[in-house]
Amino acid sequence: MLTRNWRILSRQYSQAVTFRTNESSPQQHNEKQTGLFYTLNQDTCKSLFSNGGFPKSFLKQTKTFTETAIMIRQPALDLINCIKSTNFDAPVIRYVLYGEKGSGKSLTMAHMIHYAHEDGYLILHVPWVSEWLRRVPRHKEMSNSQTHEGFVDLPLDAAAWLIHFKTQNQALLKAGELKVSEEYVWSKREKTEVGAPLSELVEHGITRVKYACDVIYALVREIKTLSNKKQCKTFVAVDGFNSFFYPLTRLNTPTKRKVKPEEVTLTTTFLELTKNDWTNGVILLSADQLAVPDDHQESYFPRYLLRKKGFEHLDPFVPIEVGRYTEKEFLSCASYYRDRLWLRGPPETEIELKFTSASNPYKFMEQCAPL
Amino acid sequence: MSIIIKHWRSTGLPSNFNLRIWRLHSTNADVAAKKGEEEEEFRVLDILKKRDRVQRRVARRNDVQPDRAERMAPDQNWGNVWPGPKTFHPSSVPLPLHQGYVPKGQAPPGKKANAELMKIPNFLHLTPPVIKAQCEAIKQFCTEWPKQLNSEEAIETHYPVEIISSDYCHASPTIRNPLSRIVTLRVKLSTLNLDKHSRDKFLRLVGDRYDEQTDLVTITADRCPVKKQNLEYVDYLLTACYHESLNVEEWEKDKTEDDMEYYDWHKNASKKSLVQWFLRTNNEVCDLNDDDYVQYDVSQIPNAEGYEKAVSSLMNDGESEETVNNYAIAVRKLLGVPEKKIVT
Amino acid sequence: MNSGNWFLIKSLCDLSFRQCRGWRIPPRRLYANATSFPDYFKNPIFRKEQQGKLIESGELSKLAAVPVKPPATYETCSVYHDPLVNKVINHVMEMGKKQLARSLVEKSFENIKRTQIERYHLAPTPEEKNKIELNPKIILHKAVENCKPLLQLSPIKRGGITYQVPGPITEKRSLFLAIKWLLDATNDKDRTVHFPEQFAWELLDAANNTGKVVKRKQDLHRQCEANRAYAHYRWQ
Repeated sequence: MLTRNWRILSRQYSQAVTFRTNESSPQQHNEKQTGLFYTLNQDTCKSLFSNGGFPKSFLKQTKTFTETAIMIRQPALDLINCIKSTNFDAPVIRYVLYGEKGSGKSLTMAHMIHYAHEDGYLILHVPWVSEWLRRVPRHKEMSNSQTHEGFVDLPLDAAAWLIHFKTQNQALLKAGELKVSEEYVWSKREKTEVGAPLSELVEHGITRVKYACDVIYALVREIKTLSNKKQCKTFVAVDGFNSFFYPLTRLNTPTKRKVKPEEVTLTTTFLELTKNDWTNGVILLSADQLAVPDDHQESYFPRYLLRKKGFEHLDPFVPIEVGRYTEKEFLSCASYYRDRLWLRGPPETEIELKFTSASNPYKFMEQCAPL
Repeated sequence: MSIIIKHWRSTGLPSNFNLRIWRLHSTNADVAAKKGEEEEEFRVLDILKKRDRVQRRVARRNDVQPDRAERMAPDQNWGNVWPGPKTFHPSSVPLPLHQGYVPKGQAPPGKKANAELMKIPNFLHLTPPVIKAQCEAIKQFCTEWPKQLNSEEAIETHYPVEIISSDYCHASPTIRNPLSRIVTLRVKLSTLNLDKHSRDKFLRLVGDRYDEQTDLVTITADRCPVKKQNLEYVDYLLTACYHESLNVEEWEKDKTEDDMEYYDWHKNASKKSLVQWFLRTNNEVCDLNDDDYVQYDVSQIPNAEGYEKAVSSLMNDGESEETVNNYAIAVRKLLGVPEKKIVT
Repeated sequence: MNSGNWFLIKSLCDLSFRQCRGWRIPPRRLYANATSFPDYFKNPIFRKEQQGKLIESGELSKLAAVPVKPPATYETCSVYHDPLVNKVINHVMEMGKKQLARSLVEKSFENIKRTQIERYHLAPTPEEKNKIELNPKIILHKAVENCKPLLQLSPIKRGGITYQVPGPITEKRSLFLAIKWLLDATNDKDRTVHFPEQFAWELLDAANNTGKVVKRKQDLHRQCEANRAYAHYRWQ
């Protein structure tokens, strides 16, 4: 009887499964295409994700597979559906992606950024918050903020983010319709006048790294006003948002005192951005276990990861679960790996891999590596 | 000369020649003693004069009487033979007992001269007929079991406090055991009839000792050396906690939202953000104080009740798939976001 | 009965003779190490194919009546199971850290796969594409096969001089030397290069019949060829 079941399962897994779709525009994606892979254009990839956005392991895979392909899954379709039917006169709605480690939150976010880019949104994307607060090389460039008392600046990170913002929104910034509404005085000789294009503000931040954090703050305020005035629609995407609410960072002041996230200017900027006091936009956040140290990774639910302050800040938000692969998705992924020469062997490998990886996307990819 | 020395062999016995020399040198006193000896025997020094003293012979009786156990009738009154606790006496006990560890194959040693049987406390003075006689004697001082306590529930209603303690007995001469001093008191919280504030204060005082599923408060005491002392201590603890929880202190007024043991949605930031959002959707300015937020009537906002329930359950019942799903459904209804489609 | 008596007497004599000489008689064992199972326990058959063969030939009923040892943790019926890979992992393992050893070998397989896929995509014609082997386990098998020496040198002392005499080699020793040489070559690496990367390069070279390890084997063969005059010293 065991052998009979085995044979049935093998037959199921050996049938050729379609795993690709030719539809490369996320706006046209619908339920018929769940579990199928769509390929991204190389140029779009470069412009959107050259400074972050894809996890490092995924970047390695893109190099080996010589293409960037994302699976269309139910959470992304759900989000597209919600965004299509939002009322853009109401205050912004916040969506929080949550799920186990390696279940596909960052890739879902990447899918949504692609959609937003196609749809003509202005994208504010933070690839990984812990990069700023927890990744501390031997000497981290930090300075005390001049405009805000007692706050800490991260000038190089801020400049890097401004470059990322520029590359993602090249088209919209070049069009030059977005104007600054206030005057900003940076120093005796430098100021940005009213009516200057946003790109000038961004350039100023990139060249004058000292003022980069303040530039970001100003930029955020401008974008909020512009969205309110319906001059542009904004898409905010932050991966690892719960890192802002963890009590400590790995940063140290010169006096060896640990810095709290509330004392970093970038935190205040992005908390301002994610408040729901503006309209004409979409906010997509993710609560990830990997953004906090191992001691506090007991559960993957949003309330636990965001902690009290984060929950109160974001309430009411729409939590969206990103789960493991379903049967169909698993088969499709396995066929894709076979096609890309990543997985080989008899069909029984798939049955085994399904159990050993528990259909978790990242674990499945890891376990196919030596096969 | 050297060759002679090399081949010279000494005999163990002194030669006649040597002996005559010694005899010439010895004193007159030992001459008489030596006359009885043989000429080759070595003299032994005898300080204690053991050879002169005669060793006393231990007299052993041949006529050992048979054991008393062999003469006992099977229907005798055992309580008279062994009236009180006594070390095991093999001849008085008419039982074929064997006790003791032996390697494989051998039979365990019998009861005569068996240290194992003598070491342990025996309860031969407490056989059932003896106990029965003792109970009959005590019965005149006892009253009957109350008829109304005929079920578990009756006992629980009338005697809600349970005291649990243990006595120990093991293979050693003493009956003392340090573990027998531990006393546990168990009581159901519902029997204490506390109001909301007292219940909260009592639970904070008692802490870990309360089990939510069985509603039992278990207080254990082992800090005193004697059981009686621990018992009194445990009673004291219960009384003290109870009376303290009925008391209201001045500093209890300083209790903030963070200290609350349950989540009250109306006093929390969740309601505030809901109201602010609602006012923004209607393009009104939000200028309310904290108190106004608490008193704001939420029934005007559509779908707000479901949202309130969802948030309260998420906070109070903990986070699980179910509560988070409920929250998601409630928020989607509130914000006007379409429902989650289940794709097969 | 006579033969029984004779045997008894012989063994007793044997015993007494040995005891007189002061030797301790080692207990007779079938395995090199002490096992927790007596010698009459059979080895387990855990592969489905072998079990299928037993069922077909009808020997399963005989085996079912005999006590059998349980399989070890690494003896699985899964598709991943490969005795050579397990052996390599055991040789890589130090201080009993099997998980670390396994992860290192798996990472090196991943590196092999990535390099081979890159070469596959760079190959211009389909014939060349077909020649490229993408399965890292097959590459490991090929590499080990190419590194196995066919003869070995044993030092034999004759008249005060130690000669290196070429002689036959067993399968097991040959396999052991192949794996040992591969690991030696890998551990001779730069500090900045990680073990899986270096191991991948060594395996790819060896599968291609180039590289340090194959050179070492060929040097050994040349030495054996050069010393073939001393071969008769084995029997002197």
